[in-house]
Amino acid sequence: MTNVADTAPGQAQAPPRTSIRGLIAATEIDLRLFGMLVALAALLLTFNILSGGKFFHPTNMVTLAVQASGIAIIATGMVLVIVSRNIDLSVGSLVGIIAMTYALLMTEILPDVLGLPADFPFRWVIALGMGIALGAAIGGLQGFIIAYIGVPSFIVTLGGLLTIRGFVWYLSSGAAVSGLDRDFQLIGGGAIGSIGGPATWVVGIIGSVAIIGLLINGRRQRRRFGFPLRPMWAEVLLGAIGCIAVLGVAAFANANLWPQGLANRIAIEQNWGPAPAGGWKIPTGFPYPIMLLIGVTLVMTFIANRRRFGRYVYAYGGNPDAAELAGINTRWTILKTYVLMGVLCALAAAIASARLNGATLDVGQSYELYVIAAAVVGGTSFAGGIGTIPGAVLGAFVLASLAYGLSFIGVNSPGQNIVAGIVLILAVGFDTFNRRRSSS
Amino acid sequence: MSIRRMTALTLGAVLVLAACSSGGGATTAPSTGASAPASAASTAPSASAAACTVAVSWNNYQQPRWAKNDQPNIKKTVEDGGGTYIDADANLSNEQQLTDIDTLISKGANVLILLAQDTKAVLPGLQKAKDAGIPVIAYDRLIEDSSILYITFDNVAVGKAEAEAVLAKVPEGNYVLIKGDPGDPNASTFLPQGWDDAGLKAAVDSGKITILNGPDGTFTDAWKTEKAQQNMEAIIDKAVADGTKIDAILAENDSTALGVAAALTAKSYGYPPLSGQDGDEANLQNVAAGIQYVDVWKNANELGKAAGAAALELCKGTAMASLALPDGLVEASVAPAAGLTAQPFTTPDGNTVSSFILQPTPLTAENLNLAVDGGWITKEKLCEKVTATPPAACQ
Amino acid sequence: MTTVAAPPLVEMRGVNVAFGGVHAVEDVTIDLQAGEVVGLVGGNGAGKSTLMRVLSGARPADSGEIRIDGKPVVITNPRDAKAYNIETIYQTLALADNIDAPANLFLGRELTTRLGSLDDSSMEAETRKVMGRLNPNFTRFALPVKSLSGGQRQAVAIARAVYFNARILIMDEPTAALGPAETASVRDLIRQLKGEGIGIFLVSHDIHDVFDLSERIAVMYHGRIVDIVDKADVTPDEVLGMIILGKRPKEASQTELAQLELGG
Repeated sequence: MTNVADTAPGQAQAPPRTSIRGLIAATEIDLRLFGMLVALAALLLTFNILSGGKFFHPTNMVTLAVQASGIAIIATGMVLVIVSRNIDLSVGSLVGIIAMTYALLMTEILPDVLGLPADFPFRWVIALGMGIALGAAIGGLQGFIIAYIGVPSFIVTLGGLLTIRGFVWYLSSGAAVSGLDRDFQLIGGGAIGSIGGPATWVVGIIGSVAIIGLLINGRRQRRRFGFPLRPMWAEVLLGAIGCIAVLGVAAFANANLWPQGLANRIAIEQNWGPAPAGGWKIPTGFPYPIMLLIGVTLVMTFIANRRRFGRYVYAYGGNPDAAELAGINTRWTILKTYVLMGVLCALAAAIASARLNGATLDVGQSYELYVIAAAVVGGTSFAGGIGTIPGAVLGAFVLASLAYGLSFIGVNSPGQNIVAGIVLILAVGFDTFNRRRSSS
Repeated sequence: MSIRRMTALTLGAVLVLAACSSGGGATTAPSTGASAPASAASTAPSASAAACTVAVSWNNYQQPRWAKNDQPNIKKTVEDGGGTYIDADANLSNEQQLTDIDTLISKGANVLILLAQDTKAVLPGLQKAKDAGIPVIAYDRLIEDSSILYITFDNVAVGKAEAEAVLAKVPEGNYVLIKGDPGDPNASTFLPQGWDDAGLKAAVDSGKITILNGPDGTFTDAWKTEKAQQNMEAIIDKAVADGTKIDAILAENDSTALGVAAALTAKSYGYPPLSGQDGDEANLQNVAAGIQYVDVWKNANELGKAAGAAALELCKGTAMASLALPDGLVEASVAPAAGLTAQPFTTPDGNTVSSFILQPTPLTAENLNLAVDGGWITKEKLCEKVTATPPAACQ
Repeated sequence: MTTVAAPPLVEMRGVNVAFGGVHAVEDVTIDLQAGEVVGLVGGNGAGKSTLMRVLSGARPADSGEIRIDGKPVVITNPRDAKAYNIETIYQTLALADNIDAPANLFLGRELTTRLGSLDDSSMEAETRKVMGRLNPNFTRFALPVKSLSGGQRQAVAIARAVYFNARILIMDEPTAALGPAETASVRDLIRQLKGEGIGIFLVSHDIHDVFDLSERIAVMYHGRIVDIVDKADVTPDEVLGMIILGKRPKEASQTELAQLELGG
């Protein structure tokens, strides 16, 4: 791409379509993201071979995705924090204190202090709202100290990591708290905490329609303004691949069935009659935490690419002075990235506490390491200005695949840590090498 | 530049410390308020029991058990025997604990019960007590010195009790082993040794029991509940993929057992017999609800009683090696297996000390009332999650 | 000194800026008329750029007054300056290297759809229009500006300043990084903008640029204004003498001038 400098306008960015690289370039796919998808697929395939073909099974993939969801959700925000040349080490403690807040709200504060019994309608929404507000407030406070007082983010959030974890201790007087609202527990996933087969197909179809709609709209916009168009074959190919991928994932999730024991129990409770030959076959579809992750990824991508706030975060990361001179309120922008982190931590805390049906003192502990690793494996650069939301989500999936896959084939935790560390260094090393080569 | 940052850092640290100590102060207040005013009457080391002042230096008071179980039982035993009880809370600080020991000595302590923050850092304080002629009881946690009396629970027996209970329920089949942090000798050595003492190894060797997750089981970084849950989910998925059934799970402690229970729930797998230890509230609730089979409980009430009685005896001038606990004071199931007289104990550093090593209590649905009767947990709390058939303690 | 009935477009009076103990700008008073180019010259560290940063809001003055159309105004940040239609082309260009040309051009003033989302297509279309005028060969609208040549980056920075209907334009060394052809087109642009009634402060090392384009020339030396002269009243050598000696030609001694001749 470096030698097509000043050719005729309108045709410049279409390199000769002779190589595979050229063909991919014509579709304008993000090569880096594509590479990560290939790497993730290779990883899953490796585990499948190592486990004798038992790994690549819908149930396992759904478990893996649920295990990745919390880290992935926070990583989408960590991208913006790192892009704007900051860091947030307090996310694990934030998850811990919010998870404990949810547990205490539902077991003690709401019923005993505010007089809302467990069967109060939508009580879990009240708890969730309070957790999100707490996350935003703590994030906002840290962001204020960083942006307006000018204390380095590393120090502020390191202090936050220690202080907030200490408060978890005092909140719970050192004990685990359990017993959350049944509806709240659905956020944690599992067979019951999933949207079910039909809804999963609906989600898949909506996704496919959206992909086609976006492609058509994009082409219409380009034509309206007379911009260079993607070749038609590339548009069709992209649409086809997108729809097949979305519907394929939906079908895969629907191939994950309710455990027989659960199906039989519910069948008796709800009088479904005798089980059919071969047992009940009830698809679980997408679990709620995955729906939450999909939603967060879409919203965060939209914020990063289509909102002023996102644009300012990237501009600040690329050149803080330029952003300031362009008249951007950079301090307010930085503060907002931390508020956003607080909200995302509250969502991740909801998943973690719902999965545990309560909160222990150590919920969220060392999340910061995995979240930062996910963002960095996903291509976020500590130099600032570079990083994508989908990349970070993929990064979280790579890390979760490693942990889950190694557990699955029986590698113990010291071995898991060794592999995770090596992969982190390899991923970033490969990326650095690639960038240096492409810039020289 | 760097000086400014240093100042900011120091300021931050001071603020944090201030916040912590004020929080700690709040929890200490009731205990010091409750303790009787220090009797400066007699400082003679061999005073009679009637004039005996027993001092306790807690390393922390935040974990609920100390305030709820240990402290009242020591206090009651001492006061029933005509002695005076005083104490101090070091708030997890080694330095504070040394200051506390000074203060307690100058307040006229005749015996010092020490819950050490660190087994070695506390040694200067121990020396001061020795210089003042005050005998020291190492309570719950060992102190590396040959002069002390060691009162604690048998930690190897905890592992043994876990495995005995589960093996009695499931003598053969597929086991999953969930261990704690790989860097903790309790996780990698002592508890597994207890499991093997209970017959796990023999059953594996004879083929009656198969370990599904490798010969060593699965370690859990930092004993984290979330990590135990993630590992267990992978193990369940693997078992389902292999077409094998998990018949029993040995988890080393309650935080890992809680993660295992959450994984079983998430996977709707049902609840094979599962072990744990600590008597955590959430886990006892799980035992009551049939989710966890056994929770090995260290009855701190009895530990407190034993320490109180031993302190009173030491006041009378009895030598440590010839100490004996009063008959019937400590519950029979908890009383030292070696009998009510002090036994020699060799520490990891090679010191030989006198000791009372109490027995842990395995709690299952059948004997949960022990925890309620001992004031460890209220019946309402214990039975909160019970839905189907309530255990005896909840009826 | 020219005297005009209408108040000048910009007046800066008694402006002081100090960094620590160093007076970067000391008691400077300067004005600018509509449709006029005032050249600002001086050696390194003379205070030209700092003075202009005061007007563009990048570095508020410690004391002094700024008037626009005769009315006193307060400029404490770049947003304030932009609100008074003061646009600046910085010597560093002040571009965010990691985002593309349209994003840089509209940075801080993005075009949005009715729902407040970024309207990237409109921004790209507008960028294509304005860049078509400044640099017709420019085609790399979707690439981060990092990958552009020096001249192309300069074009983006200039486009950003002229797009938003500037009344007052500050150009800090606008041709420093450019080749001869590009320099010529920037000069044409300055003449064109001047004809449209825009007042321009032109900061430059290049004395020929300044003589070619300015009506008046302000010479700075160690933070102070040496003199503000009409171009017609001086020769380039006299201006050069003021830059180097920090004195008006009449104040300089014969020996100093002689040394200057020898040195030059």
